[in-house]
Parts: sequence; C-alpha cells; structure tokens
Amino acid sequence: MLIIKNLTISHSDKMLVTGLSLAIDDGEVVTLTGGSGSGKSTLLNWMIGNLDPVFLATGELWHNDIRCDTLPIEARRIGILFQDDLLFPHLSVGQNLAFALPLGWGNAQARRQRVAQTLADVGLEGFHDRDPATLSGGQRARVSLMRTLLAEPKALLLDEPFSKLDAMLRLQFRTFVFAQIERLRIPTLLVTHDPADVPAGGRVIKISQGKEAYA
Amino acid sequence: MLLHGVKLGWRPWLAGLPVLLIFGPLLPGLYWALIPAVDAAVWQALWRDGQWPQALRATLISAVLGTVLACGLATLLATLHYPGRLWWTLQRRLPLLLSLPHAAFAVGLFFLLAPSGWLARALAQGLGWTSPPEWITVQDPYGLSLALALAVKESWFLLWVLASVLGEQAVSRQMAVARSMGYSRFQTWQLILWPLLLPRLVWPMVAVFAYGLSVVDMAIILGPGTPPTLAVLIWHWLTDPDPALQARGSAASLVLLLVLGGGALMLRGLWWLRQRYRPYPTGQRKPAAAWRWLKLHIPLVLTGYAVVAVLLLWSLAQSWFFPALWPQALSLQSWQQANWAPFWTTLWLGMAASLLCLPAVLIWLEWGPQRLNTLLYLPLIVPALPLVAGQYAVLLPLRLDGSAVALVWSHLLWVLPYMVMMLIGPYRAFDGRLMTCAQALGCSPWGACLRVKWPILLRPILAALAVGFAVSVAQYLPTLFVGGGRFVTVTTEAVALSAGGNRRVLAVQALLQIALPLAVFGLAALLSYWFGRHRKGLR
Repeated sequence: MLIIKNLTISHSDKMLVTGLSLAIDDGEVVTLTGGSGSGKSTLLNWMIGNLDPVFLATGELWHNDIRCDTLPIEARRIGILFQDDLLFPHLSVGQNLAFALPLGWGNAQARRQRVAQTLADVGLEGFHDRDPATLSGGQRARVSLMRTLLAEPKALLLDEPFSKLDAMLRLQFRTFVFAQIERLRIPTLLVTHDPADVPAGGRVIKISQGKEAYA
Repeated sequence: MLLHGVKLGWRPWLAGLPVLLIFGPLLPGLYWALIPAVDAAVWQALWRDGQWPQALRATLISAVLGTVLACGLATLLATLHYPGRLWWTLQRRLPLLLSLPHAAFAVGLFFLLAPSGWLARALAQGLGWTSPPEWITVQDPYGLSLALALAVKESWFLLWVLASVLGEQAVSRQMAVARSMGYSRFQTWQLILWPLLLPRLVWPMVAVFAYGLSVVDMAIILGPGTPPTLAVLIWHWLTDPDPALQARGSAASLVLLLVLGGGALMLRGLWWLRQRYRPYPTGQRKPAAAWRWLKLHIPLVLTGYAVVAVLLLWSLAQSWFFPALWPQALSLQSWQQANWAPFWTTLWLGMAASLLCLPAVLIWLEWGPQRLNTLLYLPLIVPALPLVAGQYAVLLPLRLDGSAVALVWSHLLWVLPYMVMMLIGPYRAFDGRLMTCAQALGCSPWGACLRVKWPILLRPILAALAVGFAVSVAQYLPTLFVGGGRFVTVTTEAVALSAGGNRRVLAVQALLQIALPLAVFGLAALLSYWFGRHRKGLR
C-alpha cells in the first residue's frame, strides 16, 4: 500500500497542494485529474523524489511501513511513466529493457533471453536489436512501460501516459497497462485530464489550485 | 514561417552578403598567408630552428593538459552535483565568471601564483619567509601555469555549455527515469547521460583545445619566455620583416592546424572505440559514490573572485612589500594617473563591432541558409593565428592594414559566430505563428520582423550584443596584427604592460578590461528589465 500523509506543496506564495492524504491499495489504480498548472506533475515529482528545489513540500510518503519521502530517488523504487517514452536513444530496444532488469537473472546470455521473452510477451518478438527511434509510437509506449515494470517497482506513477497516442492505440495501450498492473498487484497513481482514461470503478481525485475534491 | 516560403526572392542573398563580406576575403587571404609554407626549404629551416622543439613541447603540454583538466573538472562537477542545489548555485555564478576576459584573468592569476604573489605571501606568514621563494611558479618552461590558467578558465565555459544542455527537460527526465529504476546519480551519469551528451560536447571541447593551441595573450603573461609557446613564436615570426621567418611562421601555423586535426581525430577514435565496446547492461545497482565531499566548485569559483580581488588591491596599493598580505598603504594614485586612451579605443571598437554585427546576425537568422551555420562557427574551432594572418594578407594589397575600418572588420570574424550562437536558441524557440499572425494582419516580412519578432526577442538580442562586445574586448591578435600596432586597447595594453615591472599600472588596465564587458552586461540586463517592466511575458 502506498500512503500520502498530509502533503502540502507551495511555490513562493502559491499553494499547489494543501493537506492531501491518500492511500492506494496494492493493485488499485487511483486517478488524479485537474487543469493544467494545477500541480499534478509537481505532485508526481515529489513522490519519485525529483521535486524542483523552488518548491516547498511538507508531508510524508509511505510504502507499507517504510517511509519514502526522506529517501533519494534511487532508494524509493517507485516507477514512473511519462507521456514521452524516454527510451535511451543510445541503447537498443533490448538493452533499454536489460538496463531496467535487476540482478539475479544470471549472465548476459540469460538476461538477453529474459528480455527477448518479455518483448515476445508484448507482441514485439525479434525487436531486441532494433533502434528505438525506428519503432512506432505505440511500440515505443509498450517498451517504455515494460522497462518501468521490469525494474520491479513497488509502486507505479503514470504521468499522462496515453495523451500522445492516437485514439485507436490509446484504447489498446490503456487495456494493456491496466492488465499489467493487475498482474503485478502494485499501487498505481494515474494522472490524466481525459475522463476516458479512468479504469472502470476506479477512484478519482480532482486537484485544483490547492484544493482537493473527491468525486 | 509558412508565409515565408512564398516569396523569398532576393532576401537570402541580402542575408548572405554581410557574412560573405566577413568570411569571403579569408579564402584568398589564407591562400596568400599559407602559400609560403609550400616549400621544403621552409620546413627544413623550421625543423632546424633552435626554439622549435621546446616551443612545441610547451604548447602541447599547456593545450593538452589545459583541455584535459578543463574537461575533467567540468565533467566531474556535473557528475557529482547534478541534479542538486549546488549545481544550480554554481550555474548562477557562471555568467559572471565567464565575463572575466582571458588576459585580465591571466594577469590576476600571475599576481596570485608568482613567487611574490598572494599564495606565496600566505605561505610566508606560516613559514616565516622574508623574501620570495626561488621557485618557478609562473612562466615555467613546460607551460604548466598556462595549462592551469586554461583549465580553470575553460572549465567555466564547458560548465556553461553543460548547464544549457542539462536545462533541457528531456535530459533531466532521463536522469529521473534511470534513478527511479534504482541507479545512483553517479551510475546514471556513467551509463546514460555521458554517452548521450558527449557527442554534443565534442565541438565545445575542440574549441577549447583550439583556443589553448593558439592563445597568445595568456601565453605571453603566464607562459614560458625563451623560447615561448609555439603560438607566441609563430606570432613573432609572422610579424617579422624577414620573408624567410614569415614563411616559417606560415609553416608552423600549419603545424598548429595539424595538431588540432590530430587531436580531434584522436577524440573521434576514442569515442568510436567506446561505442564498439559497450557491454550488455548487467543490471547491477551500485551504491551512491561517496565523492560528494570533494568540494571542487569552491576553489574553482574562489579563483575567479581572488583574481579580481588581487587586481583591485594592486591597483589601490601604494606600497606592498613581501611578505605582507595587505598593502602597507592604499592610494588612488594609480587610478588618477591611469591611461584612459586604451579604454576609449576598446569602447568604440567593441560598440562598432557588436552594433554592425547585430543586423547581419538578425537577417542571417531570418533569411539566411541555416544549413551553413556550421561554417559560421569555424572561427571558434580553428586556431586564430592562421585566420588573422589570412586577414592581414588580404588587407595588405588593399592598403587597408592599420585602418580603423579594417580593425573593426577583423573583429567581426569572432564577434559574429558568438552572436549567432547566443541568438540561435531563442530564434528557434520563437513561436512562428506570431509571425504568421502579423503577416496575416498585413505586415510585410520586414514589418513583421521590425514590429513583432525583434521587439519580442529584445532580451536575447541585448544579451547577444553584450556578448559580441565582450568578444571584441577580448581580441588580442587581430587588434595588434590588423591594427598594425596603431590601436591600443585595454587588452593589448595589459599584455604589453605585463612584461614591465609596474604592477599597479598593469592592475588598472586589467581591471578596465574586466569592467568594460561587465558594464555592458549590466546595461543589457537593465535595458531588458526596463523595456519589459510592464510586460510579464517578455521577462
């Protein structure tokens, strides 16, 4: 379970988030909506530990019984998926995934096999040595999600991950993402401005300039 | 942008004209300047020259060591501190440090490092010395002090380049993504950011190396005396009345070009090897490297401040004997008796060069063939010596050498690329739809630029003007060579005075050299604030 306790984020005299408390169960997807500039991305940056120092934040972030907000990014193990795929352009598709794969899968040969298997699982068989730049938008989105998940995150943050895909792909990729989360049973926070992105029966929280309304 | 495509007609030609006037004459000039070197006898004479081996050694040591140290310092600082509060603070200090001209920095560093300098005085307090130690700390035969000066000065430049690259959102997000997968900052730099960013840093690094190879003003102040560095030696040869020595100078400047080419190729080769050998990602997450105690930024920034402080003290000192840390008596005498002529020459020269360049840069960016931009940057990555010799060779038959017009023209070759570099980012980032709007409302392309685009870009334009002015102030070689010694600027004066013993007079000229660009940067900031005071969107 991922828990935010009484979070307040401000920037000089402007309040972006006031007194937000939230608990997300394992396997649950909570959706956060709000207009542009309402502090959604700032909140995600605080959660992964990448908050710009111009912001002032108070509050706590817990994963089960471990306090995370005092840890550096790399110790939190909270995965994030941005709307841009952010695949590392100097690595091949497979190397991008291998970069995320933790230790314990054996030697380079075994790791390569594991990565190839993952690619095959998501319909990208034989893509291991491809240059990420040659992939279509939908293919890159899938690789990017799998990269985030292969790192075995304890929680997942999705920052408008569907907004750059066209309508057809969006539907497919959305289903794909929710299926993966369901399989891994990790708490997930989804930020979006599109009501259609909200999973069926999921909780929605609206933030707007320092106020949160529960819908 | 869309409307532009309709009828460009004569405009690209108009945009190309000033650039052609600045760059065009170089082609015959370089030919005339370098053709004397096409003679085996010249090369034999160069080979047998007594000063040549040591001069080449000093140049190689100072340029290679200076470049390697500057790159090392900049990369280490970025690796250790980005992203973080320290990096942002350092980034804010950089513009001020960058505005320190090379010659003034070298003079200040001389005052710090010399056997009777501030550092030795500080040591003397503890060790009880009463006279300066008999060490060679500056102007050493290997060019080590010159290397140190280049390392510090150029590391600021490289850090500034890095800061602008790291300011991009894609880069900072890639850092966040890799770290969220459990990699430490250090490992992310090593595995992701350096492989991504190094190709973009190659040209700035080559520029630093080229500068180190052909620097003359700093080498006269801090480099070895007899023989001097190769650049200074070439400079003596090229300005010698004896045609045989001039030819030797041409041949030796070709050597500088070859060394630069060799260095660039070696860098390329190393990069290629690194590309070939990239192991499959092991997935190993190493704990954060505990190197952060290494507060390298402190000496780096402090050097800049100490240089200005020691110059100020010397300019105000009446008497200041070893080993006192502070002058025995202060007075304004040096300032009251200061020679202001170089100051005024520098001022009009810088104003003329930057103001002439501005319209050329603006119409080039608006209508010029942008794929030729790389060509404009050539003066920044080619040693200045052959270029200046080429400029001189063109002016000679035209009987323009030593004229004010020619002097301003010679500065433009370096002012233009720097101004293009400063403006190209804001120009590319400009929302083209605003221009489309203006033209849809009935403005001609000229009118749209004059009334919409350039007023909106006023802030970067003023900044580019200030940079252009600073570049002109710092010019040493063209001022002396093309100016035929008839125009004395604060830069040429400071270098000339560095050979004499009067530190007070030298300090005053060095401070004037610092003050000029600083004042113009301040003025540019003030003006852009003033024009934008009621327009939040412009600031």
